[in-house]
Amino acid sequence: MKKAIQLTINGQPVEASVSPNQTLVQFLRDDMGLTGTKHGCGLGDCGACTVLLDGKAVNSCLVLAVQADGCQILTIEGLAENGKLHPLQQAFVDKGAIQCGFCTPGMILSAKALLDEKPNPTELEIRTAISGNLCRCTGYQKIVEAIGEAAEVIRFREES
Amino acid sequence: MLLPKFDYHEPATLEEALRLLSEMGGNARIIAGGTDLLVRMKLKVEKPSQLISLRKIPGFDAIIRRENHGVTIGPAVTAAELSKNELILDRFTPIALAAGRLGAPVVRNRATIGGNLVNARPAADLPPACMVLDTKLKLKSATTEREIEVGEFFRGPGETTIEPNELLVSIFVETPAPWTGGAYIKLGARKTLEISMVNVAVLLTLQDQEGIIVDAKIALGAVAPTPVRAFAAEEYLIGRQPSTEVFHEAGAIGVGMCEPITDHRGSMEYRCLMIETLTSRALNQAYQNALAWKP
Repeated sequence: MKKAIQLTINGQPVEASVSPNQTLVQFLRDDMGLTGTKHGCGLGDCGACTVLLDGKAVNSCLVLAVQADGCQILTIEGLAENGKLHPLQQAFVDKGAIQCGFCTPGMILSAKALLDEKPNPTELEIRTAISGNLCRCTGYQKIVEAIGEAAEVIRFREES
Repeated sequence: MLLPKFDYHEPATLEEALRLLSEMGGNARIIAGGTDLLVRMKLKVEKPSQLISLRKIPGFDAIIRRENHGVTIGPAVTAAELSKNELILDRFTPIALAAGRLGAPVVRNRATIGGNLVNARPAADLPPACMVLDTKLKLKSATTEREIEVGEFFRGPGETTIEPNELLVSIFVETPAPWTGGAYIKLGARKTLEISMVNVAVLLTLQDQEGIIVDAKIALGAVAPTPVRAFAAEEYLIGRQPSTEVFHEAGAIGVGMCEPITDHRGSMEYRCLMIETLTSRALNQAYQNALAWKP
């Protein structure tokens, strides 16, 4: 039997009807058309499906859509403002931290959760924050640099 | 990877959850964080026809300080919360450290202490940490209520003394004595998203800052079908003056308590060597933490 859920996705209130066995990543991609969130291993190992649930980075393949009832979801589509890339997205572009791009949405959202909590992270904190996100192009070095640069940009923007 | 079909229930009270659980019995599974259960369901290891969610039950995600006495941890408290909570870090250190090593940040934000205990995987992070502290689990069914020491809870890989109609409703941990320090060390091939090859939790209590060891608890994970206490090593330590040599000897005694297996994560011989090394290392760390104890 389908269940009715109400949640907020990228700032927009959404009402929907979902099957209990539908995961959050399936709901976001198949029902909401938000295909920026990638479906990788499906077992919580790769982090490609990372979204922010009430501000915390989670594997959306291991969350049921019904469990997101009443929650705030942020996906990669919700990061840019007025057509302008978020500093994290811009830093990933500028630093060449994207190769195939499959891990990128998850990497950026794990990094966003980190910077929201710690605006001035150490390199170790950055590496720990993305330790549940696998990149098989092995672009980790550039990714870590991009997150560090984005942190600086955000801090500078908030100071000025 | 798709989930099999099931019915989903979200009781708003504990009473309702217990009633559902007693009505559905073996067909139902409890879902909290889902980081273990949903994986097992996707792999078709488990096929419950009913899932009962804990997310609406009041108080299940709370950490409550019991003045001068201990702490009550709700079963749905996440590993991330435990790893950052100042009270847990300060007084119940092995639990905070073990929670901070469970999975990866994306897993820790969902995985719960209740799930980690009830799933009873031999290599789980939180069971050894709870076993070195004085931890009691409260189990409730629609008609019964009982309390059990965490050391008597585990029966084998994935097996505990919990009945199908029972729910773990709270975890009480007694505050350790003054001059106590704790540590937790996990060994895997990589730092995150790893199933331990060996894990060690220890708690060491000194008479005072320069005194002898008056109490010692050592629990080892991934070295036997359930996490085990190294009682002989603990007995050896009690009454002795702490030193690197004493800690090393305790590690050597600890190996005798274990029956590690050889698998793709590591050989029996390697695990035995690591038990010895990590136990003595963890004791050293716990000793440093005990010296830094503050009222």
